[in-house]
Amino acid sequence: MTTDEATKTEGEVQAVALTERGEDITPAQDRGVLKIIKRPGSEDESPMIGDKVYVHYKGKLANGKKFDSSRDRNEPFVFSLGKGQVIKAWDIGVATMKKGEICYLLCKPDYAYGSAGSAPKIPANATLFFEVELLDFKGEDLFEDGGIIRRIKRKGEGYSNPNEGATVEIHLEGFCGGSRFDCKDVKFIVGEGEDHDIPIGIDKALEKMQRGEHCILYLSPRYGFGEAGKPKYGIQANAELVYEVTLKSFEKAKESWEMDTKEKLEQAAVVKEKGTMYFKEGKYLQAVIQYGKIVSWLEMEYGLSEKESKASDSFLLAAFLNLAMCYLKLREYTKAVECCDKALGLDQDNEKGLYRRGEARLLMNEFELAKCDFQKVLEVNPQNKAAKSQISVCQKKTKEHNDRDRRIYANMFTKFAERDAKEAASKTGVERVAEKAACEKGLKTPGAEDEEAEGHV
Amino acid sequence: MPDEHSQTTMAVDELQAIIQRCQILEEADFKGEDFNLFLVAGQKCLEDGYAAQLLEVIQNEKNKVIIKNMGWNLISPLVRCIFTYKEEDDKREHCLRILDQLAQLCNPKELFLGLLEQIEQTSGDQVCQTVMLLLQPLQTVLLKLQNKKAYSVGLSLAMIMNQLTPLPVPYTKQQIQEDKLGLCQCCNAVVDFAKPFVNEVVKNMEKSSEYHDMELKEELLKFCMKSLKYPLLTAQLEQLEGIEEHPFRHFATEIINILWNIRELIPLVFLHHKGKSPPWENQEFADIERKNSADSVACLSYLMFVQHFGIECFPVVFSPSYLLLCNMTHIEVLLKRTEESMLSKGLDLFESSLLRMEDNSLLHDYLEFRDFINVPQDLVKIMTLCPMEHLRKKSLSILQLFIDKFDTEGKYTLFRCLLKTSNHAGVEGYIIKNIKDQIHLSLTKEYDNVWFTGHHLISLLDLVLSLPEGAETDLLQNSDRIMASLNLLRYLVIKDCESDNQTGVWTTLTKIEQNFLKPLRVGLNMSKAHYEAEIKNKKENRKEAHSSNTVCSVTVSGEKMPAMTTGMQLQVLHSALFTFDLIESVLARVEELIEVKIKAVMDENS
Repeated sequence: MTTDEATKTEGEVQAVALTERGEDITPAQDRGVLKIIKRPGSEDESPMIGDKVYVHYKGKLANGKKFDSSRDRNEPFVFSLGKGQVIKAWDIGVATMKKGEICYLLCKPDYAYGSAGSAPKIPANATLFFEVELLDFKGEDLFEDGGIIRRIKRKGEGYSNPNEGATVEIHLEGFCGGSRFDCKDVKFIVGEGEDHDIPIGIDKALEKMQRGEHCILYLSPRYGFGEAGKPKYGIQANAELVYEVTLKSFEKAKESWEMDTKEKLEQAAVVKEKGTMYFKEGKYLQAVIQYGKIVSWLEMEYGLSEKESKASDSFLLAAFLNLAMCYLKLREYTKAVECCDKALGLDQDNEKGLYRRGEARLLMNEFELAKCDFQKVLEVNPQNKAAKSQISVCQKKTKEHNDRDRRIYANMFTKFAERDAKEAASKTGVERVAEKAACEKGLKTPGAEDEEAEGHV
Repeated sequence: MPDEHSQTTMAVDELQAIIQRCQILEEADFKGEDFNLFLVAGQKCLEDGYAAQLLEVIQNEKNKVIIKNMGWNLISPLVRCIFTYKEEDDKREHCLRILDQLAQLCNPKELFLGLLEQIEQTSGDQVCQTVMLLLQPLQTVLLKLQNKKAYSVGLSLAMIMNQLTPLPVPYTKQQIQEDKLGLCQCCNAVVDFAKPFVNEVVKNMEKSSEYHDMELKEELLKFCMKSLKYPLLTAQLEQLEGIEEHPFRHFATEIINILWNIRELIPLVFLHHKGKSPPWENQEFADIERKNSADSVACLSYLMFVQHFGIECFPVVFSPSYLLLCNMTHIEVLLKRTEESMLSKGLDLFESSLLRMEDNSLLHDYLEFRDFINVPQDLVKIMTLCPMEHLRKKSLSILQLFIDKFDTEGKYTLFRCLLKTSNHAGVEGYIIKNIKDQIHLSLTKEYDNVWFTGHHLISLLDLVLSLPEGAETDLLQNSDRIMASLNLLRYLVIKDCESDNQTGVWTTLTKIEQNFLKPLRVGLNMSKAHYEAEIKNKKENRKEAHSSNTVCSVTVSGEKMPAMTTGMQLQVLHSALFTFDLIESVLARVEELIEVKIKAVMDENS
C-alpha cells in the first residue's frame, strides 16, 4: 500500500483523468457517471440485471479521503445488480463491467447520495470516486432454494410486480433439453397458470417480475411439471425446464386492505370454487394459492355484521380444512396441523378438522396425539369407520415403534456389554452406537399413505 | 468447658488436623469424608474470622494437592464471608486473596462448576456484586480449561446474562450516575471478561480462513445478541451531558467491536432480513430464535444508523431507499412495543432512515412491502394511543416525513390506506389536510399531476367527502375529519373554476351533494336538536332535584375521574353545540360558494 499522501495524489490524478477521458455511461448522457477501465475483463460476459454480483471496491471523496473499502473488511461486497440496492452510479456502472474487470467510476451526487448525504461519512452534494473490481456474478436465485434461477435480459419498468391473483399478459417460450416445446402469447391470472399448461414456477416468478421485463427462467422439476411430467408436450417426469418470459402487462389484484367486506365475501366464494377445481385435478400447489386468498382476506377482518361474520367464518373454516387437505397431499404435515388447529379454533368439534389433524400427526409419527384426534372424531361421530381403523393403525404403529426402540436399546446394551468385556470402552465407539440408533430412528419414513376416501370440501 | 479463646482457635486447629491427615495421603485416596471435614473446618475458619490463617494454609506449598482437589468447596462460604466485610477491612482483603489463590490452584473443572453455582444462586441486589467478584477467577479458570472450553464460556456468559436480565436498567441520567445495583459497571466488566476469548477466536480466524473455532464464535455471538436485547434495547443510549463515559454507550461500542472482530457484524445487519433462518429442527425453536434475534438486530441497527456505532465498518454504497427497506423490519419490531425506550429507538431509527432520503424520491412500489403499509399504521397507533406526549408528537412528525419522501403515486396510495385504516377522526383530518396540500401543489406546479387531479383524485374524494354512517354519523366524534373535508371542498370550489375543472370536483358534485353535504346538513339538524333538548332537560332537572346523582362515570387510564356535576355536563353540551355551529358555518359557506359558481356559469351560458 502507498502512504496516505501518495494515495491522495493518486486519487486526484485519477479524478482528473476521469473528468478528461472518462466515458459517460449514463443513459441520460448527463456526465453523472464517468468511467475508465483500468484493467479489461478476462471474459466477455457482463452481469445481467438481478444477478448476484461480487465486487471489491474502494471509495474516496473528492478531497481524496478514503471513506470505504471492501478490502479493509477482508471480504467481497455482494449485491443484486440493478435493483436499487446500491447508489444509482453503481447499478449503472457495474452493469457495464466484464468479469475480472477493474474500473474507475466518478459519480456526481445525483447518482450517489445527493443533497441528503449519508451520515456520518458522506457530506451533502458529494462527488464520489470508486475503484471497482468485478470478481464474479451469477443468476438470481428467486426463492433461495435453487428452484428458480432468473437472468433478466431486459429490465421492466418501475418496481411494481403482479401479485397473486393479478391478471397478466405474457409471451413465453418453453425449452426442455434444448428443444422448444411451447411458444405462445397468453393472458391469465397469477396462480392459475396451470389452466394454460404453465407450470407453477412461472406463476411464482411472475410475482417478482416487472412490467416489460424479459427474462430467462431456469426451473427445477419441483417448480416445473414435477413427477407427473407433461405428456401433452412430451415432457418426462422430473425434467428441468428453461423458459423465456416477457411480461407484457398486468393488472394487480386488489390488496386485502383495498377491499371491503362485501367484496371479500363475494370473491371468497369464487376462489373457493376455483381451489376445489384444482384440488380435484390434483393441482395442490395451485389449490393452496386459492384457499390462501380466503385466509388472507378474512382472517383479520374486523367489524363484521352478524350475518357477514357467519359467512366469513364458514369460508374460513372451509379454507382451513381444504388447506389442511392440500398440505397433507403435499406432505407438509406441520402446515397441515396448523391449518387444522385454525379450523378447530373456529369449530372445535369439526369432524374433518379432527380427522385430518389425526392423519397429519400420524404421518409425523406422533401416534399418541393422532390417536387422541381420531378418538375425538368418534366422539363427534361414532359412525366414522375410517377413524376407527386409523385408531388401530395408531396402536399398531405405536407398538412397532416401541418394539423397534426396544430392539435398538437391546442392541446397544449387548454391545456395551461386549465392549465392557473386552475392556476397550473407547468413547467414540459408544457414540457410534448412539448415532446408529439415531439414524435408524430417522430412517423410518411415514408408512404407505392411507388414501382414505373421506369426502373433500 | 473450653474457654472462649480455645474455642475460637479450634477452627484453625481442626483445619490443621484434617490438613495434616490428608498431607500424607495420595490424591486418589481422599475420601468423601475428608472433603466434608475440610469444608466444615474451612468454613468455620472463615466464619470465625481466621481468613489470614486459612490463606496461609492455602498458600503452603505442601498443601497444593489438597487445595487442588478440595479447594473449590470453599467458594460458597468464601463469597458469603466477603459480603459481610466492609471494603477496607483487612479480612476482606485476605478473603479476596484466598479467592485468587483458589482460582490459581484448584482443579479447573470443579472450580468452574463451583463458581457457576455461586452465580446461579445469587439474586436481587447481590447479583452484580457477586458477578463482578467472580468474573476474574472465572476467567482464570476458563482459560485453564482443556475440554469443552467453548461450551463453558458460553454457559458462563449465558448464566451471567440470565442473572442480570431481571434487573431494572438505569434509564435517567441520575439513575445511570447512581448505578444503584451496579449494573452499568457489571456489564462493562462482563465485556472485559469476554475479551480474551474474542481474541482467541480472532487469532484462530487469522491463522486460517478455513478452520475457525466455530463453537466459541457461536457462543460469543449468542452473548452479543443477548446483550443487544438486554440491557441495550432497554437502555438510554443518547449522549448525556455531564457523563463523559456513558456506561451503556461504552458497552454498546464494545459489543459491536466483538461482532466486528468475529466478523458477524455485517452479515447480521443486512443479511438478516432475507430470512436466513438458523438451523433449528423444531419450528417452535426457530420461531423463538427468530423473534429473539429480531429484537437484537433491531437494536443493532439502531446503534449503527442512529448512534453511528460501528458505522465505519459498514459499506457506503447502499442506496438510502434500500437501507430504509432493510430497517423497516426493525422499525416495525420496535414500534410494536410499548416501552418508551424501545418506541423511541424505533422512531429514531425511522427518522434517521428517512432523513437519508430526498423528498419525493421514494418509489410508490415500496408500499408493496408489507412493512411500508404496517409501519405507518403503527405510527398512527402511537400518535393516538401512546401515553407519552413527546412520542405522540414525534410519531406525527415522522408520519409527515414519511409522506414527504414518497412520489405522488406513493403519497396517493398511502393516503388511501391511512384513511381506510386509521379509525381516528383526528388522523383522518390530518391526512385530508395533506391531500389538500398535494392538490394545491399539482394545481400550482406543472409536473406530474395525474394523481391529485382528474379521475384518481375523484376516487380519493369519494373516500374523503362522505360520512361513514350517513346522517347518523356521530358528528362530534368525527368533527376533525368533517372540518378538514369541508375545508378541502371549500378550497376546491374556490381554486378550481367549473370551466377548468382540473380537479374534476365539478363533475362529481352531485355525488358529493348526495353522500356528504346533504346527510351532513340533516345530521347537523338532528344533533343540534338533540343537544339542545338535552340542555333544556338538564336545566330543568337542576331546578327540580339539586341532589341529582351522577348518571355516568368516566375512567381515564384506570383512574376514576371525579363525577361530573350538572354544571360541567352543561358545559360539555354547550361546547358540542359550538362545534356544530362551526361545522354549520363552514358548510353554509361551501354551499354558498357552489351556488354562486354554478349560477355564474349558468348566467354565462344563457
